[in-house]
Amino acid sequence: MWDNPSLRCLLAIAFLHLLSLIYSQETGFPEAPWSLKCITHDLNRMICSWDATSSANLGLTYKICYTNSEPFSPVCIETGEKRADIPVAMGSTNIQITTLNASGTPLATETFVLPEENVSLIPLTPQILNLNADFSTYTLYMKWNDSGSVFQHELDASWQIQILRKETMETVTLMNYDSKLTGKDSILSWNWTSDIPLECTSHHVKIRCYINDPYFSGRTEWSEWSPIKTVPGKDTKLSSAVVFPQDKVVLVGSNVTFCCLYNEGESIKYMKYGSKSYSLLHLSKWSSAIKVQNVSASISSGTNVWCSLLPDNAAGTVLFVGYAPDTPQNLNCETRTFITITCSWNPGRPTGLYRQRQTKYILFERISRENVTCKVDELNKKHHCDFPVHANQKIYSFTLGASNPLGRAESSLLIDVNQRVNLETPDKFTVSANSSTNAHLSWYIPGNFIQIRLLCQIEISNSNSERQLRNISMAGAENSNYRARVDALHPYATYTFRVRCSASEHFWRWSKWSETKKLTTLEAPPARGPDIWRERSPVRETLTVFWKPLLLSEANGIILSHEVSCYLRETMLEVPVPLNSTEIKLEGNDCLISVAAKNHAGLSPPSRITSVDLPSDNVKTELAIAMGNGIYISWHSDPNVTCGYTLKWCISSGSEPCSVDWETFPSNATDAVIKSALFQPGVRYNFSLYGCKHNGYQLLQNITGYMKELPPKVAPNFTVEETSSESILVKWEDIPVEDCQGFLKGYILYFAKGEKGTSKTNFMEEGSPELTVKNITDLTKKSLRILDLQGKTSYRLDLRAYTVGGIGPSKDLYVVTKENSMGLIIAILIPVAVAVVLGVVTSILCYQKREWIKETFYPDIPNPENSKALQFQKNICEGNTALKTLEMNPCTPNSVEVVETRSTVLKIEDTEIISPVADSELPEDGSDPETGSHVVVSYCPPIIEEEISSPLIDEPVGSSQLIYIDIQSMYQPQINPEEEPEINFVTTAGYKPQMQLPINSMKMECHSPTEEDLDKTAGYRPQANTNVWKLDSPDSPISIQSNNENGSFGSPCSINSRQFLIPPKDYEDSPTPNNTGWAFTNFFQNKPND
Amino acid sequence: MKFIPAGVVPLLLMIHCKLVVGKALPVNTPSPMCENMNLCKPNVVEQTRKLVVLLNATAPDLFSIYLDCQGDPFSSHLDELCNATTTDFPAFQVNRTSHKKEIMVALYKVFAFLNASLGNITRDQEELNPTAKELLERLHNTTKTTRGLISNLTCLLCNKYNVSQVDVTYGKSSKGMNVFKKKQQGCQVLRRYVQVVSQAVHVLLPHLSQA
Repeated sequence: MWDNPSLRCLLAIAFLHLLSLIYSQETGFPEAPWSLKCITHDLNRMICSWDATSSANLGLTYKICYTNSEPFSPVCIETGEKRADIPVAMGSTNIQITTLNASGTPLATETFVLPEENVSLIPLTPQILNLNADFSTYTLYMKWNDSGSVFQHELDASWQIQILRKETMETVTLMNYDSKLTGKDSILSWNWTSDIPLECTSHHVKIRCYINDPYFSGRTEWSEWSPIKTVPGKDTKLSSAVVFPQDKVVLVGSNVTFCCLYNEGESIKYMKYGSKSYSLLHLSKWSSAIKVQNVSASISSGTNVWCSLLPDNAAGTVLFVGYAPDTPQNLNCETRTFITITCSWNPGRPTGLYRQRQTKYILFERISRENVTCKVDELNKKHHCDFPVHANQKIYSFTLGASNPLGRAESSLLIDVNQRVNLETPDKFTVSANSSTNAHLSWYIPGNFIQIRLLCQIEISNSNSERQLRNISMAGAENSNYRARVDALHPYATYTFRVRCSASEHFWRWSKWSETKKLTTLEAPPARGPDIWRERSPVRETLTVFWKPLLLSEANGIILSHEVSCYLRETMLEVPVPLNSTEIKLEGNDCLISVAAKNHAGLSPPSRITSVDLPSDNVKTELAIAMGNGIYISWHSDPNVTCGYTLKWCISSGSEPCSVDWETFPSNATDAVIKSALFQPGVRYNFSLYGCKHNGYQLLQNITGYMKELPPKVAPNFTVEETSSESILVKWEDIPVEDCQGFLKGYILYFAKGEKGTSKTNFMEEGSPELTVKNITDLTKKSLRILDLQGKTSYRLDLRAYTVGGIGPSKDLYVVTKENSMGLIIAILIPVAVAVVLGVVTSILCYQKREWIKETFYPDIPNPENSKALQFQKNICEGNTALKTLEMNPCTPNSVEVVETRSTVLKIEDTEIISPVADSELPEDGSDPETGSHVVVSYCPPIIEEEISSPLIDEPVGSSQLIYIDIQSMYQPQINPEEEPEINFVTTAGYKPQMQLPINSMKMECHSPTEEDLDKTAGYRPQANTNVWKLDSPDSPISIQSNNENGSFGSPCSINSRQFLIPPKDYEDSPTPNNTGWAFTNFFQNKPND
Repeated sequence: MKFIPAGVVPLLLMIHCKLVVGKALPVNTPSPMCENMNLCKPNVVEQTRKLVVLLNATAPDLFSIYLDCQGDPFSSHLDELCNATTTDFPAFQVNRTSHKKEIMVALYKVFAFLNASLGNITRDQEELNPTAKELLERLHNTTKTTRGLISNLTCLLCNKYNVSQVDVTYGKSSKGMNVFKKKQQGCQVLRRYVQVVSQAVHVLLPHLSQA
């Protein structure tokens, strides 16, 4: 049953009705008022309302009687409504409400005690009086009435303003605004700047109020919201698409919102700032926006913002991004003409905005309250502005305001115009001269300077670029010419003038210089007479008068001539320029000579000099000191000199006669440095010093000097006069004066061992131990002997002259000292003498011992025991190391007859290897081939049979080893050369004529030679290979190689010495062997023959 | 009829005099276009041809520099922003077969419009791009050449083709436009100018060489 909702609803109504009945029973009447509520809008009166059951009694009225807490009589009012307007009382209010029927009969009465706490204060709903929009600044301006007159006393009021945007009425912002209610109605205003252009979409505004009364203890509530006021956007009723904001100027770094408004039927594709697309914000059906953060400076034509629309449209705008104007810097105001004051300044940082948006400057003068708009071109760096000068105003307080759409800046300056005068450049500048020392200048300066004095500066420059400034103070005038006179100029001089001016009393700055003008002053008579000198010609009795041309500064014009007169003779000569001397005939008389220079303006004061020359004797010549740029000359003061000294010299140039020059000095002078452009370094100059005495000039001293000493130009010419084994005498000549180039101080002689061809640098090397230097300072000395030299040695001499200016060039000579003959003689004689003595002693000894010597060395029959030459080498003969001579055991000579002859006779050229036995059998000529076919050789068989097994015996030539060879025929056996190698291995025992050796048997026996075989074949045999005995080269080492046994000689001999051990006397006359070789043994061998 | 009331004649004379006195006699008043127009110089045709050739040679560079000075997106979105058909540029609907007179009239219309537009563009660019010396110099030079060309065309039309009046349009003044519109309008005019002057050279040469 409870699940039925209708039933549940009916039960709830019944329950409520039941409760109502219960309540009615409590008050007693159903018409009794209940639920009393009271609100106040002004804290003065309140509106109380209540509920009451009206049932069907439409004619009910209510009688309201109220009393405050004070014991006042109640006040009653009747009303047909369920509300009543009663005053607000402090504390509590007793309200009695009686319900009356139509006839006035009370039906029910209810009494309420209404404390103040139960009264609500709700201000009246505010009304927006005005809502305006400034689209350029995105600002909404709102005005409303605060209804302050409602309240009797001042109250604090708070206002809440709500901004709504878009079609959906999105709240953009909720702002609070506080005000004070003054008891009177006031119009309050408020503005708000939107972050997007107001054109982009509609903006709505509403407001409500809240009153804060501290003495009111009831509840205080916000008023109702005012009706909405709307600022419509431009996103409706468009003629064409458009982008906002248009042509706006913003600061660099700003955040800017752009919106694109388009028509119905169009839609937006994209929106770009410059070249960059941004995400779109949809503001309304026909409006979209982008937000660009931190914009950067734009180009001069601005940054383009545009939207591309579908189907085919585009719209755009331009944003100019720049800077606010900088504070004008270096503001300076000055006047040039006293007509206007020109202020100039530096604009500072560029704004990046041009033309319509560029910075505008206004010059405001605070005292006169005038301002001037300055026409300034942003592209031009120079910014200046003119302000008119006011009469009777000296002080000007300027404020220069700079403004552009982004901001404003200013700079101030206070000036006294009289202290800021910068005059215009002097114009129409002219210069004229009417005398030799004065010039007149004139110039024009525009402007009114009546109230000040001017200070003008004249710059005067002469031809020597010497510059002087002269300041002239003058009274100012209005647009006037100014004149000045410049004096103390030099006659006949060219000057350059220019002028500039400034204020005299309060100097600020000079004007620019005027143009320059040149002027040459007029001529004046020469300032002084010329410097003069005279020279007497002793032969012709004439006097030559010299004078120096005046300097330009002294001539005061162009010198035309010089007037020369002789005082006593009253003659006058006019010598035209450029002559600077003249000759006067004295005819035996002296006179006072006067010379005056003449130009267009007149004559100079005359210069005078007497012609009298006083005799002088014992005049000395002194040397001057070269100063590099002049010549220093000093002299002794002469008390008789009363009118000064004159130093005269003459400079010759080439073939022309020398030009006389002189210089005069006061009487107290004792030295001077003479300078002349004609002086040349290294040239000797002669000076004559004259003293001016009361009765004439006297030569006091001759001086020689150089302006600058140089090294001698040439080397001294020197020769060697005398040479010995240990000394050289050198002589030299003087260097000509013109080649000295200075005062000669001495000579330097360098000498050292050296031959031609050695370089000079090596010779002159410092520290060379060989080099000797001699400094000859005695100029009178013209020769020098150099001692302590070595004999037969080449010396190099180098002589140089030197001055203070340095060492001159060198000239060198090469000299060879003579040989020391005694030493040589001694060196030869001593060895010769010793040799002779030794020879004599040896001869004597040899003579006395000649028998012994003969017996010992050259016996008629040599004793082999005494002959070392016949010793065998032990290793050969006995295997013993000691040598042993052949033992002369008795033996019976055998004769061997050689029956075979040789077809070819071997020519034996070396006599040393001829067998003595065989030789004895040979004819004397020893070369008979016919007899050679039958040879009988005596032979003594050896006791000790020795055989050399080794085919190679390589012993030094000098060895004492002796090798016996087979006694055989002098003829070589005819052996097939092809069999030679085999023969080498043959070792035969005993004597065997080699020609009879069967070659085959030799082959058989020798193919494997053994020790045993050697013993079997023991006996004498040739020990050397004759093939290698080169007869024409007995010393050849090859000859001792005995690897071939084919050839052999018959006599025992040393194949090393090649000497016959016992040369027979019979063969002394034998033919000289054809041997070109030489052996020391020959010397002794032949000696007896010698 | 023989009787003429006294006073009528004087009245008539007076009225006649009143109408005649102080009123110039009607003559063939020249049109403003041909006022003060003397005879053309002998080489005016050749000079006109050269001027058109010169304008054709310099027009692309002028347009290119103009675009550069306006900033993005004018050079990158040319078709979207500088649609040449949207301008009031006079149509140049002549070709080589057209009559000389028609060509001269068409040229006159084009260059009269261009002269006025160049004035607007130059003024706007002096304001927007005072530092763009080259652009301004080219605009000035083009304006001078255009004026010389108009003078020659006027001479030819008045003296040779006896045309004393040509209806010309001058387009919209850019005054009051926002900066973007100014840039856009200049872009549209110059773009169309480049096209038309090229056509003009193409069309003009045969006629001028024959003249």
